[in-house]
Amino acid sequence: MGLKEFVTRRIIQIVVLYFAIATMLFFLFRAAPGDPLAAYIGTGFTQEQAAQIRATFGLDQPIHVQYWKYMTSLVTFNFGLSYITGDPVWGIIQDRIWNTLVLMGTSVILAYLIGVPFGAYLAWNRGTKRERFGVVFALISRSAPVFWTGLLGIWIFSFKLGWLPAGSMSQPGVTYSSKLAQFTSPSFLRHLILPALVQAFYFYSLPALLMRNSMLEVMNEDFVDFAELKGISDFSVMLKHAARNALLPIVTAFAVAAGFAVGGSVVLETVFAWPGLGREMVRAVIANDYPVAQATFLILAGLVLVANFLADLAYGYLDPRITYD
Amino acid sequence: MSDQNKTALDSESNVDALDTELSTWRERQADAWRRRLAFLKREPMGLAGILILLAIVLVAIFAPVIAPYEPTETDYGNSLAPPSAEHPLGTDSAGRDIFSQLVFGARPALQIGLLSAISVAFVGMNVGLVAGYYGGYVDDALMRLVDFAYGIPFTPFIIVLVALWEPSKWTIVGAIALLLWRQTARVVRSHVLNLKEKPFVKSARTVGASDRRIIYRHIAPNVLPLVFLYGSFAIAWAILTEAAISYLGFGDPTAVTWGQMLQSAQQSQALARDAWWWFTMPGIAIMLTVISAFLIGRGYEEQLNPELQEP
Amino acid sequence: MTLLEVNDLHVTYAGDPAVEAVRGVSFTLEEGETLGIVGESGCGKTTLAQAVMGALPDNGEITGGEIIFDGQDITHLSNRQRREIRWERMSMISQSAMNSLDPVYRVKDQIREAIQEHRDVSDAEAYERSRELMELVGLDPDRVEDYPHQLSGGMRQRVIIAMSLALDPDLIIADEPTTALDVIIQEQILYRIKELQRELGNSMVMVTHDISVVAETCDSMVVMYGGELMEAGNVDEIFNNAHHPYTLGLQNAFPSVEGEKRDLTSIPGSPPDLSEPLEGCPFASRCPFAAPECEEKVPVREPVDGHRVRCHEPVPFEQIRDRSGEDETWLSQNKV
Ligand SMILES: Nc1ncnc2c1ncn2[C@@H]1O[C@H](COP(=O)(O)OP(=O)(O)O)[C@@H](O)[C@H]1O
Ligand code: SF4
Ligand SMILES: [Mg+2]
Repeated sequence: MGLKEFVTRRIIQIVVLYFAIATMLFFLFRAAPGDPLAAYIGTGFTQEQAAQIRATFGLDQPIHVQYWKYMTSLVTFNFGLSYITGDPVWGIIQDRIWNTLVLMGTSVILAYLIGVPFGAYLAWNRGTKRERFGVVFALISRSAPVFWTGLLGIWIFSFKLGWLPAGSMSQPGVTYSSKLAQFTSPSFLRHLILPALVQAFYFYSLPALLMRNSMLEVMNEDFVDFAELKGISDFSVMLKHAARNALLPIVTAFAVAAGFAVGGSVVLETVFAWPGLGREMVRAVIANDYPVAQATFLILAGLVLVANFLADLAYGYLDPRITYD
Repeated sequence: MSDQNKTALDSESNVDALDTELSTWRERQADAWRRRLAFLKREPMGLAGILILLAIVLVAIFAPVIAPYEPTETDYGNSLAPPSAEHPLGTDSAGRDIFSQLVFGARPALQIGLLSAISVAFVGMNVGLVAGYYGGYVDDALMRLVDFAYGIPFTPFIIVLVALWEPSKWTIVGAIALLLWRQTARVVRSHVLNLKEKPFVKSARTVGASDRRIIYRHIAPNVLPLVFLYGSFAIAWAILTEAAISYLGFGDPTAVTWGQMLQSAQQSQALARDAWWWFTMPGIAIMLTVISAFLIGRGYEEQLNPELQEP
Repeated sequence: MTLLEVNDLHVTYAGDPAVEAVRGVSFTLEEGETLGIVGESGCGKTTLAQAVMGALPDNGEITGGEIIFDGQDITHLSNRQRREIRWERMSMISQSAMNSLDPVYRVKDQIREAIQEHRDVSDAEAYERSRELMELVGLDPDRVEDYPHQLSGGMRQRVIIAMSLALDPDLIIADEPTTALDVIIQEQILYRIKELQRELGNSMVMVTHDISVVAETCDSMVVMYGGELMEAGNVDEIFNNAHHPYTLGLQNAFPSVEGEKRDLTSIPGSPPDLSEPLEGCPFASRCPFAAPECEEKVPVREPVDGHRVRCHEPVPFEQIRDRSGEDETWLSQNKV
């Protein structure tokens, strides 16, 4: 099977998976106890008024019609109207997708840039005090909840030192000509530093610990001894042979890490009042704004799947033994 | 020998045989445990993990004895008091004793951690065993289910479930169990694929043992260490997740949990008011509990995987 | 001229228990010659080869004796000094050569790496050289573009041989270079190695458990047992005039490729545990001729014409040789 066929097949698989997840979500919301419009339809409404509101949101239609409309929305992005503001959902979340991607992308990249060399360093120093300390340190990062380190970060760097903004994405009142202009503005970058670092401080531990294990395993392989035998310097052996091979499982883990990153946006963005999908979802769920909650969930799920797909591709690229079948 | 066996009908020698059998069995069990626990000696980190967890368990059990106040007891005249002899870790904005809240917070954390771990281990192990053992369509179907579970964003899913149903411990445990089994299932399955080819399984099959017996008598004991490993990681994930859910405001509003303490700290502007005792302590408590589970799991993992062992 | 001289070498592996895998072995290797080291598995052959190459496992250490290579004492070299000799002057085809190629790089890049680490040559030159080497070992030069997993086991082995020749080293150490392959390919590769060695004139140490390989490929040989040298000398001399019961036992156990077909009898029992100190002859527990004195002190004999034997010869060696040819001699051992 060629690369093209592999990619097509993966894409089909992912689309099927996506529709399955969307279906589950649909029924999850229908099966939930309580009236979704309870918050909206106050006690003061007459029967007719309530019925009219239901009709506005399409809730008067039979379930299969609702389901069909819902599933087509996955393609058309016509997610209906917010129960709270009455605005089109897509308009509310469109912008936020980029905000989330930039924040989470930055932190995952940072985490890998720090974590992979750190893990390799630990493996290289195996059996030493440094290694032990390093592993414990990584485990500490992994155990400290992000919302807590986020709070500590805000307390120290915003409240005490005054170096960085405590939250949000940009100064209020400032507008930008485009998303790109906004993302490259100094003010945005200042806002990005703290949340990205806080999240990276959590995420780096996964590639670090995995890289350490993977390196230790690869270091037992014959080809590493052989490279040494050839007279290659220790550093080259570690970098070109051990680390390069050890990277393979780390790439697979990237899919899982990205999945957690996407899901973790609900926490991180809430701590830092970052106007992204995660924060919007928390807001919508609390307010019983089901259309927005569903749509944000679907977009987040889509991002997880895309990350999975990218990790697959990267793995195929890095490992010549992959034959795509 | 064979003659003796045939005539071993008199009860006395039967009892003898049973006795020796039982005592060798006991010895073997004791031996197995000694081996299982032997890693503690070589793995000081694992030992540290066990000690920390043990301490937290004790705190949870004896919470009413240890805590100087009722955790929900308010004292508005004494709000945001810094640590003192009266309130060793200060009070929150409603004058509730932080230390007492921490002590009682250990209970839901451990309950949720352990319950989730047990459910995750149970579901993950069985899915992995069945998928790996039967293979074919069963395997395909179950593995697609695993892919499905991996495609769902974890924290958002839990939030939706908890918000749509009721915000209780049980919903949180159920929601975590619904997704987190995926990893255990995958790992167990690939292990079973190897075990299936081992002579002891093949011979069990040739003597006509039922599938069920082969799975649970012959294969399952060999994957238990792995299940235990991922179970200990599940404790950590569950505690972290519960804390995050509570922090976001989807927790049981009547319960005293570490996540909730942090939520109310942030909402009451504890940061701006410099009430560090309020927002540092619950985080440390979460971290200690979670790291104890990670340390135990990691120490155990190093033992399972000889390549990771230090030279 | 003598290229390699090993004197009373001792190698110990740290651990619980510690293992003394080489216990006072000495030999010399002349330039352009091939030396065979033969013995059953677990007798310390690989350890000896690795000690010479300076490639002992981390827990292994030379605890006595010396290794002189081209007049230089290389027993205890620093990593840096060692790297200068490695591959440039002394290369190794190891027991696990089949798994010695890095799975993520093309063959050409791995050969190039070996060359460029030691010589200042351009990529193009290194590439040309890698194609040349492939041809030398009987492979299609275009296969340099392949990844290791695209090659068969025998081909990978040939690639390793090609690599070992890349810098035209003075000494090539081949540690069971063909054990992992099937018999026909073993033959081809051994033949090729021998041919190349003759063509290129390098010296070689051939480690094997199969004494018939030594007969075909070597000029001189060392028979090892239990980490010690049992018999050593010229190959013709030893094949025609072996004195040691162990050597004779090995000859019984392996078919000579050209010789007459006959039943093979392996020596009952297995080599000694090298974590224990051994007094007397290490072979005593399996030797059909063992006499009380064999258990006591280490047997040493004066070499005759470079033929060294370490055996008490409790009975005249002619008798040993005659009786060794009979299966009865070895099989009766089994009953004890
Ligand atoms: N790294 C090591 N640590 C401890 N013992 C070892 C190590 N490598 C080999 N040994 C032991 O040393 C002895 C000789 O092994 P080896 O040199 O591989 O023999 P051969 O190549 O003749 O089979 C064996 O008993 C083996 O178990
Ligand atoms: S005769 Fe004695 S010394 Fe010679 S090999 Fe046999 S046991 Fe060793
Ligand atoms: Mg060997």
